[in-house]
Amino acid sequence: MNAPNRYELFVLDEGEAPVEINEDTKIPNAATIKILKQDHTLGNMLRAQLLSMPEVLFAGYKVPHPLHPHFLLKIQTDGTKTPDVILSDACNRLIGTLSSLEGNFKREFAFKEADSSGAAGTAGGTFTTTDDPYGTGAGSGGGASWGNRDDYLDF
Amino acid sequence: MDPIVRIREYQRDRVNFVLENVDLAFANSLRRVMMADLPTVAIDLVEIETNTTVLPDEFISHRLGMIPLVSTNCDAAMRYTRDCNCLENCAFCSIVLTLNVTCTDAVTMDVTSNHLEIQPHPNEGTEEAGEEQVRRSDTFGMPVGKKEADVDPILICKIRKGQELKLRCVAKKGIAKEHAKWSPCSAVAFEYDPHNKLRHTSYWYETDEKAEWPLGQNAREEEPPREDEPFDFNAKPNKFYFDVETDGSLGAQEVVMKGIAELQKKLASLVLALRRVRNGENEMDVPTSGDQTFGDQPVAGSGGEATWGSGPASSWGSSPGSGGGSSWGNNNYGSGGNTTGTWGSSPQGSANAWSSPSNAGWGSPSAQANGWNV
Repeated sequence: MNAPNRYELFVLDEGEAPVEINEDTKIPNAATIKILKQDHTLGNMLRAQLLSMPEVLFAGYKVPHPLHPHFLLKIQTDGTKTPDVILSDACNRLIGTLSSLEGNFKREFAFKEADSSGAAGTAGGTFTTTDDPYGTGAGSGGGASWGNRDDYLDF
Repeated sequence: MDPIVRIREYQRDRVNFVLENVDLAFANSLRRVMMADLPTVAIDLVEIETNTTVLPDEFISHRLGMIPLVSTNCDAAMRYTRDCNCLENCAFCSIVLTLNVTCTDAVTMDVTSNHLEIQPHPNEGTEEAGEEQVRRSDTFGMPVGKKEADVDPILICKIRKGQELKLRCVAKKGIAKEHAKWSPCSAVAFEYDPHNKLRHTSYWYETDEKAEWPLGQNAREEEPPREDEPFDFNAKPNKFYFDVETDGSLGAQEVVMKGIAELQKKLASLVLALRRVRNGENEMDVPTSGDQTFGDQPVAGSGGEATWGSGPASSWGSSPGSGGGSSWGNNNYGSGGNTTGTWGSSPQGSANAWSSPSNAGWGSPSAQANGWNV
């Protein structure tokens, strides 16, 4: 009864900031960025994009606890850009890649005509309503085996 | 390097494609987002009036929840109940289905998803039909395949003479992070490096690895390694084989396109949030993030592309710093709801989503202010 709402795993609370930036006090040009209500989907993608950028010396992410819906992204840069700037750059590049991917998909889908023969359900056909697994013949039309016995009815 | 896509097979409910020139993390994020972050409709509340079947109430409720309902264009055609301004649920954020079956014949009768009937919401008509309802297709919320003769219905329960099942269901919008019943995908196959050249896995075998681990179909796409080939430490996976199979609630194309749009939305919200932190602005002053505009667009067809522009690859990719800044309209921050032009290429449509009063209540203030809701 006192369980938190399940959507709190992916919706920000009222007034909650989606990111927190903690600059590292001992390492130059480094910051740990806490991104709330996001998970590996975003974290791993950002980490990989950051590592592919020449300005980045270090990038890593972790989800500190699987029940806490946030991840930490640690970034150290070479000093030409601050970690939060490099993170927005990484996001923008990923958005660019995604839009180009989207264009490619759109073109490919336009080429492929939907094959209507692939209707859901017909391919599997593992159960049909006329199945008679017990071989009683009562499956779809029989029913004679017990149909007239009143004691069987559980009114 | 731009990503390359090749669709190998495309049916209404499944698409098999090869994705090249992307990172492993990128491909995996696409897979994850398609499985867990796309909204669909599923039965969430069940009020049982009569149940004299052999199955207990909770058993039947669970089965009802798992039935895929047609959810085409769900992100625009329906609200989340938590974002709705109604008390419990209303025509904007729920769909009511009823089931009323009694067996009167001396035969075992199947109660199937075809017996579920959509009912007009009791509160419907008290308010004007909103934009959401207009965007719904006529089968929206119906069990998948109900109107199609070639699709077998889903068996819920079997009843005998004299047994009855009468209940009322409330279907709501949700995502699979909350419950797997909201996942539009029944399976997403994901493979890379079919020859295991990268040695990301090691095969267990009894006597002969080659004989005990036959190669899959995808292995035909790649050169088998030579026997004397030295191991390349720096090699990275570059080619990914996907097979997205949906349960019918969304089409395969919609799942892929919405998945991409959802990833962009997540990244866009992060960019906005970072900029907000940098500018030190009060979070509550900032208008909503782009997701309403996203949701406002029609199905994958024209929506996604229009939102991000037709030539964004160059402007986003090549000069992310300056290009990104200008196209995001950073000056408009906190200036109210007139950031429309920056987001959508169809200003009318997005203008409605941002500021028209008919739209009030689309999203709770908190969800909008945070600019991050998923």
